[in-house]
Amino acid sequence: MPDIDALKAEAKRILDEGVVEMVIGFRAGDTPLHPQPAFFKTAEEVDALVYDPLCQNNLAAYLTRFPKTQKIGMLVRGCENRSVNALVFEGRHPREALYLIGVPCEGIIDWRRIVENTGEEVISVVEQSGGAILVESKAGSFTFEKSALLHESCSRCIHPNPLSADVVIGEARPEGDPALARKEVVDFAALPMEERNAWFRQEAERCIRCYACREACPMCYCEECFVDHISPRWTESGATPAGMQGWHIVRAFHQTGRCTSCGACERACPMDIKMTYLTEKLNEDMRQKYSFEAGMDAVTPPPFSTITLDDKSRFVI
Amino acid sequence: MNLILKKDHLTDLLNTWRGNHEVYAPQSLQKFTHFLPLLEGSEPVFDQAHNTRIPPKALFLPISEALLKFTRFGGYEQVPSQKAPRLIFGIRPCDARALTLLDTVFKQERYTDPHWQTRRDATVLVGLGCHEPCQTGFCTTVGSGPFDRAGLDAILTDLGEEFLVETLTEKGECLFTQLKRASDEQNARAMDLQQAARESMPTAFEVEGIKQKLDANFASPYWEEISRSCLGCGVCTFLCPTCFCFDIVDEAQRGERVRNWDTCMFRTYSLEASGHNPRPSRVERTRQRLSHKYSYWVDQISQIGCTGCGRCVRYCPVGLDIRAMLRKAQQLPSEVLHAK
Repeated sequence: MPDIDALKAEAKRILDEGVVEMVIGFRAGDTPLHPQPAFFKTAEEVDALVYDPLCQNNLAAYLTRFPKTQKIGMLVRGCENRSVNALVFEGRHPREALYLIGVPCEGIIDWRRIVENTGEEVISVVEQSGGAILVESKAGSFTFEKSALLHESCSRCIHPNPLSADVVIGEARPEGDPALARKEVVDFAALPMEERNAWFRQEAERCIRCYACREACPMCYCEECFVDHISPRWTESGATPAGMQGWHIVRAFHQTGRCTSCGACERACPMDIKMTYLTEKLNEDMRQKYSFEAGMDAVTPPPFSTITLDDKSRFVI
Repeated sequence: MNLILKKDHLTDLLNTWRGNHEVYAPQSLQKFTHFLPLLEGSEPVFDQAHNTRIPPKALFLPISEALLKFTRFGGYEQVPSQKAPRLIFGIRPCDARALTLLDTVFKQERYTDPHWQTRRDATVLVGLGCHEPCQTGFCTTVGSGPFDRAGLDAILTDLGEEFLVETLTEKGECLFTQLKRASDEQNARAMDLQQAARESMPTAFEVEGIKQKLDANFASPYWEEISRSCLGCGVCTFLCPTCFCFDIVDEAQRGERVRNWDTCMFRTYSLEASGHNPRPSRVERTRQRLSHKYSYWVDQISQIGCTGCGRCVRYCPVGLDIRAMLRKAQQLPSEVLHAK
């Protein structure tokens, strides 16, 4: 559990000293399961800052909304820091205009896992000092090990620590096991093609085309998404099998070498659609074929964003 | 006249109805419930506190539907509207009321949507009142309630071992001809349950004067404040039982003209051919969503365009809560002097 007082103190300091004009963090939600992203402009406002395992959004998704000249402070966990790095590499915001308050991450709780066990009418969720999660719902009181409630992206996280924060508050966490991150990809690849196809269709075809996955993703910042393009039209816009499958495949492909495995897409989905098995496959390919992981720094070009004169594929030059 | 339906008799009754209707009821698929055709041997699921994730408006205005088919060599044919009789069992009062609001859109005197009309006419609605109202719901605040009869042909009250059935229309009466009358004691128990359910729901915000507040503050910084964390996705509107916007596109490869759900929360919704967008940011789009429900509907039909189902609250990926937004709106000044 991060030291909330230390986080507040640092956020207040950078606002008071004019290091930044705004700090992006979280505040308590209006409902018990959903803390809300918040934008603090004064030290007084920072009193409302909260930081708990239900803070499910990747705050880097907000970065591209602000002018590049604006000095922005942001609370970043491992994945968020990598997203910021990837965005800085892509020229979305100058690193000098950012102040990153790093928090070594213990993982994000998937609220769906709570309601599966406690019923939907949750009254309160409290993280105890030992790491146990105490949930009060209309159905009674429940205690969980945090590990049992983590979102899958967090259970297999390799890099929980912020990599390029200006200050880190909290003890560094042990790095995750790449073999664990790989496991789901390997297991899925081992299934017969028919089963993989059936799974893909079952997930994709539940889609209602609300694009919460796109909007929750820091790397989906295109002014015009391919699905919104009128001429030519790249994919059917309806909730038809072709349209839904097309969206899920191309969305994932556009993340190649850019996805930081944060899982914000899946957590935002109102239809509980599994998506990270697609991006994780691409992330694993990047690791295997190019020894590359997105956002580990803000200067190394992702393999698919670079061309060299000795490129084996001559068609581009 | 109120009747009694024993729960162990429900399966038989559903089977009887299946003889001459396609029966839809909430059923589990993956990890949540949907209104799906009830097949032999499958059971409706009523134990979840909250509603089906996708509102039953989708059974009348499908997320995507072909309106007509055409070929590249010319000519087209209309896709016929579904006419077979349907029965929706277990629809919640908020969702049924929403259908009556949507009727004012799709069944206007001069413009009637044939698909909507035939589906509505072919469907009988058996509602299930909410004796344990959900936390995110606020139906009583917006003039509805956990036992609102609006739009329903019959409404059920869960009395434990049995349902009390209150038939509300002739269509509804025809469904329950074999049942015994409810006793005075059962009627009284149902009344108590209904009243207790209503009274258990707190007032989520002051609804009186909300339209005037929103109108007066059209240019207020309030909209920027409440939309700051909005992702601009379509969750709140697509899961809303009263949102009805659609887009019509030609899927040329398949030779179909298709109507798809659309939403004012998308950038492309208000984007004009010139490139100009009168609602260029999430600020204006959020204003449109709230003002439509709480002001423009009121102008048009003197009713609020929200039935308080609470789906937008529960499924917003950033936890935005329309109740909190409207509480905040009530703090705004009633009259704003605009600089000329």
